[in-house]
Amino acid sequence: MKLNVAPALPDSLLTQARAGDAEAFASLVRAHQGPVFSIGLRMLNRRDAAEDLAQDVFLQLYRKLGDIESLEHLGFWLRRVAANLAIDWLRRLPYTSTQPLDEDAPIAAQEKPLDPLMDRQLARLLDELSPPARAVMLLRYQEDLDLTEIGAMLDMPVNTVKSHIKRSLTTLRSRMIGARLVDCEPSAIEEKP
Amino acid sequence: MNDEFENQLRRALRPVDAPEGFAERLMKRLPEREQPVIAVLPVKPRRRARQFGLPAALAASLLAAVLLGQQFATWQEGREMAEGLAAKQELLQALRVTSQKLDLAYEAVNSPSREDVEENRS
Repeated sequence: MKLNVAPALPDSLLTQARAGDAEAFASLVRAHQGPVFSIGLRMLNRRDAAEDLAQDVFLQLYRKLGDIESLEHLGFWLRRVAANLAIDWLRRLPYTSTQPLDEDAPIAAQEKPLDPLMDRQLARLLDELSPPARAVMLLRYQEDLDLTEIGAMLDMPVNTVKSHIKRSLTTLRSRMIGARLVDCEPSAIEEKP
Repeated sequence: MNDEFENQLRRALRPVDAPEGFAERLMKRLPEREQPVIAVLPVKPRRRARQFGLPAALAASLLAAVLLGQQFATWQEGREMAEGLAAKQELLQALRVTSQKLDLAYEAVNSPSREDVEENRS
């Protein structure tokens, strides 16, 4: 599994956190807070709700530290809980896009010059997908997980994951074309194996 | 073309940083570590009571019924015996009275009359 875990974390950190070392637990939180917060933000589309969700996820982690086997397992566990909790929240609460994403939010990794308008539009269009489809897209394109990992995280068959990705890509691309932000045909989209 | 669109998607969805002070706020919310509570429950006695309660109650009821039955039978037998004895006494009394009456009648029949006595004298 190729989760984006902070590189310099020693394995002993988990053992120390399990033994009740608050500073070790805080280090684990700092290493994973970005991805967990990002899943909440993109799923719920509100920064306050995203922080609530991330806090909930880490509080659950604190209670379940004994079940975490390794740092890799920790990354998987956090993403799985964050995605599923966000889906639950969206089903229970009427989160809307009334409070849009903070455009000045700091970006963790910036690789090359971006088109901010297109990026914001894409992020907004994600909000129109169903919660499970949105979670699949986030785990695929934000967390860069493969289909099997996404299926395991969301308790979904791999074929369902594939069809979510295919349909979501088609929808997003056609909306982007409608907004004249891309200029190719939706039919040109083919699923990447 | 699709790869390009997916790359755009990846760039649009790159992770963002958590708000400043997130970890510190979280650490303040952490509950005290819960110590496991070792509770000594009286499992065995309760289980034994539950296991043997019904049969014991049934046995006690049965024993009480047998004892009561025996007691009643004894009492009934005693009462019948007393009644029998009383009847026997009454019967004996009646026979005694009858016997006395018969004796008197016999004596009256067999004793010589005054005329016979006078005839014998003459």
